[in-house]
Amino acid sequence: MATTVNFMKSKMKTKTIMQIAVYAAVCLAILLLPLYAQDDFLLNRIARYLVLAMVAMALSLSWGYAGILNLGQAMSFGIGSYCMAMALKLRTVPVHTGTEGLPDFMVWNNVETLPWFWKPFYSMPFALLAGLLIPALIACILGWFMFRGRVTGVFVAIITLAAMIVLSLLIIDQQQYTGGFNGITDLAQLELFGIVFDAYSSNTYFLVAISLTVCLFLALALTKTKGGLILQAIRDQESRVRYFGYDVALYQTAVFGVSAAIAGLAGMLYTVVMEFASPTFLSVQLSLSIVIWCAVGGRQSLLGAMLGAILVAGMQGALSESEVFLESWTLIMGGLFVLIVLFLPNGLASLVDIAAERFRRRQHDATTQDEPAPSAELSEGKL
Amino acid sequence: MSTLLQLQDVSVSFGGFKAVRDLSLDIKKGELRCLIGPNGAGKTTALDLICGKVQPTGGQIRLGDVNVTDMEDYEIARAGIGRKFQIPSVFKQLTVRENLEVADCRNTGVFWNFFHAPGGSERSLEELAEFVGLKDHLDEPAEYLSHGQTQWLEIALLLAQDADLILLDEPTAGMTAQETRKTAEICLQLRGKHTIIVVEHDMGFVKEIGDVISVMHQGQLLAEGSVAEIEKDKKVREVYLGTSGISHA
Ligand SMILES: Nc1ncnc2c1ncn2[C@@H]1O[C@H](COP(=O)(O)OP(=O)(O)O)[C@@H](O)[C@H]1O
Ligand SMILES: [Mg+2]
Repeated sequence: MATTVNFMKSKMKTKTIMQIAVYAAVCLAILLLPLYAQDDFLLNRIARYLVLAMVAMALSLSWGYAGILNLGQAMSFGIGSYCMAMALKLRTVPVHTGTEGLPDFMVWNNVETLPWFWKPFYSMPFALLAGLLIPALIACILGWFMFRGRVTGVFVAIITLAAMIVLSLLIIDQQQYTGGFNGITDLAQLELFGIVFDAYSSNTYFLVAISLTVCLFLALALTKTKGGLILQAIRDQESRVRYFGYDVALYQTAVFGVSAAIAGLAGMLYTVVMEFASPTFLSVQLSLSIVIWCAVGGRQSLLGAMLGAILVAGMQGALSESEVFLESWTLIMGGLFVLIVLFLPNGLASLVDIAAERFRRRQHDATTQDEPAPSAELSEGKL
Repeated sequence: MSTLLQLQDVSVSFGGFKAVRDLSLDIKKGELRCLIGPNGAGKTTALDLICGKVQPTGGQIRLGDVNVTDMEDYEIARAGIGRKFQIPSVFKQLTVRENLEVADCRNTGVFWNFFHAPGGSERSLEELAEFVGLKDHLDEPAEYLSHGQTQWLEIALLLAQDADLILLDEPTAGMTAQETRKTAEICLQLRGKHTIIVVEHDMGFVKEIGDVISVMHQGQLLAEGSVAEIEKDKKVREVYLGTSGISHA
């Protein structure tokens, strides 16, 4: 019996090790890609997909692991991207409008002095922290009210969606301070520790790839903690978790905040890659796309959600480029989404599990032929 | 022995309907109390009141020196009350081992749990799984377990939780005679170390384990006493009239 237990234990460990190996292999492939693709435009486009993959991964953390369907994921993303854009815009001021000047769009809107909430963004460390912490803080406050009030399921989706729409309307409305519909464009390049991150350079690509790798592994580590297990238990049977004494709302708020921080970081990187920030980054369309990427790749797998984003966004990019598919890619994506939801409810990532299960069964069949006494019978007898 | 749980005139009504009215119970530390009564008598609701799933509209519930009447459900759980529900509720997508790890809730803090790996007491969780005959299913998702095995898992979860007071709502529902006997055995083993309240229909089971039996009817406490006393009780016979005594209830 002791050997069976050890075997089981080692099997679990092997599973985790395999998982880490696969995650590491994918990240390595991403990091090594510039060796083979030296076209800066291609790298820029892939970097863009990697950023989107990061948001999808963040959603997988809250939706797939904790059962919180956040339809406002793009809100955190958008806030992050605006934080970065504000900081980079201020760096252009001396060039565009002189040292005592204002961002150009403010001048066009007859704004006289820099609004108070722009001032701290002269400091790049502040901007970086803000891009992470403001989305996290907003998510925590929103989450606190929702989860304390035991709001669940579709109502969480509606509230998060509504919050995002409110913020995006506010941004569009306050044109003189936010650039309105046009967003914040014409930015300086990000410069950190003496390295310049030109959107069309391998520097930026590596910045994105490394950030993605770090976030992916941090998120993976989080899911492997006891807290990660409790989150999954909350997803499966929320009320039961309470009767073990866990404050469910706190756990939900925590994962909601972490997910928002990752989305915020992704948003900052998106501004660097795209060289602008715009209200479309907080759009319903983007939020729904993130959900689709997650569902297609497999929301219960961080890597699955990530690859789902790269795959779908990549296909979208490729298809909408060709004349034939320009109009019909939405249809193709919709069809793909429906097919996957119907036949692979856990997304493409579940193909791996299905294959592993088949393999295990075949091996099991092979071994049980030599070992005629399956222990299942013994344990049945004990009952 | 000292009183662990005390209900004083506890009532609750759902939209005017009094599901439990003026219920008073006194459970001693280490006691194994059976709660019986016809369907709809309010037994499940009584457990819901104790564990905070339902807020009483009147009365007071005390656990030891603590007034738990107005506490949140998770706070009551922390104060030392564990609950098994009538409908099996385990974490379906988690493996048996992971289910047990979640149930091992000595530390409920968010920060602690996000910075610690599960499996602090691997050994004892495995012993628990063995105790309820699920050792060979440790790494199987709970959704693949049979109904009986799910019941066993629930019991193991309670043992892992290690609460002072355990509330069992019809733990033998859907079990074979043999399994029912094993459940009775587990209950007897737990008595003394834990205080237990069992809601049960199976009179064989109740006779096997019960010290004191409380009978509920229409939300009220009808009678309380030993098996022999209850079987002789006139009011109880009336309630169970037509079923030829409680032995066949
Ligand atoms: N949440 C609720 N809302 C309305 N009525 C309820 C609720 N819970 C229980 N009841 C009613 O209270 C009565 C007692 O139910 P219950 O405690 O489940 O009985 P028992 O477990 O003894 O069979 C039943 O008539 C039931 O319909
Ligand atoms: Mg009941």
